[in-house]
Amino acid sequence: MTATQRLLAYQFPACAEQMGSVRLKLREALKHCGGSEAVLNNVVLAVGEACMNIIQHAYGPNDKGDIVLEVDLVPGDEPTTSNQCHLVFRLTDFAKHKSCAGEMRSRPLDEIRPGGLGCHIINQVMDEVVLLDSPGSSGNVLQMRKHLGRN
Amino acid sequence: MELTLKSETGFDLLALSGEVDMHFSPKLREKILGTLKDGKPLLIDMAQVSYIDSSGIASLVEGFQTAKSSKLPYGLLNISTTALQVLTLTRLDKIFNLYSSAEQFKAQVTTHAGAIQ
Repeated sequence: MTATQRLLAYQFPACAEQMGSVRLKLREALKHCGGSEAVLNNVVLAVGEACMNIIQHAYGPNDKGDIVLEVDLVPGDEPTTSNQCHLVFRLTDFAKHKSCAGEMRSRPLDEIRPGGLGCHIINQVMDEVVLLDSPGSSGNVLQMRKHLGRN
Repeated sequence: MELTLKSETGFDLLALSGEVDMHFSPKLREKILGTLKDGKPLLIDMAQVSYIDSSGIASLVEGFQTAKSSKLPYGLLNISTTALQVLTLTRLDKIFNLYSSAEQFKAQVTTHAGAIQ
């Protein structure tokens, strides 16, 4: 593989009811990308967590809108095997609330309490997580990268 | 997600199946906390869980904390590989009591009942 391949571009309403079909679409798109089942399970989980953050914190209970999920398969420097490639996930929302980088921080895990595990999961699974500048005055773009050769 | 609650001798058995995500986890939380309110030990069968996210895990943690403060045995049974992967990621695999058979949990319940008499 020598060029970046677009595996998925999917726009959906930011609500909990949509998440089952988003996972189905994502699994289908990742079927032939060359990652192990464990890696694919983890990235589907991390993308789900990122969507959940957008639904709960970017849009929140008083704002509504869509999420755009784009997935690219990017070749590595030595493009001989698929596990040198990496996946790039980009989630764009159009919420009035602008996230800041600090909002992607995990909480300490030695506190045994119910919430706040989503950011930890995202950071554990993905090799790189960045909040990019969104083009407009509102909305957020979260980009996550995962090397296929790493668990 | 599907929830099936069965009353066993000395404890309640809640069987979870399917995908536990933010859409369904409020229902799971309600069921776990409602069941623990009856004052019986609770075992949650997770063999048929094909997906669980942090909101589902949060419901399990809330149950764990409620059971702990009420001094009730609480455990997870036959946890599926997918669910175990998430517990490991969040380092909660060492916190929950994991069982591979209901008999193991029953023995734990009997020991616990003996200790508080």
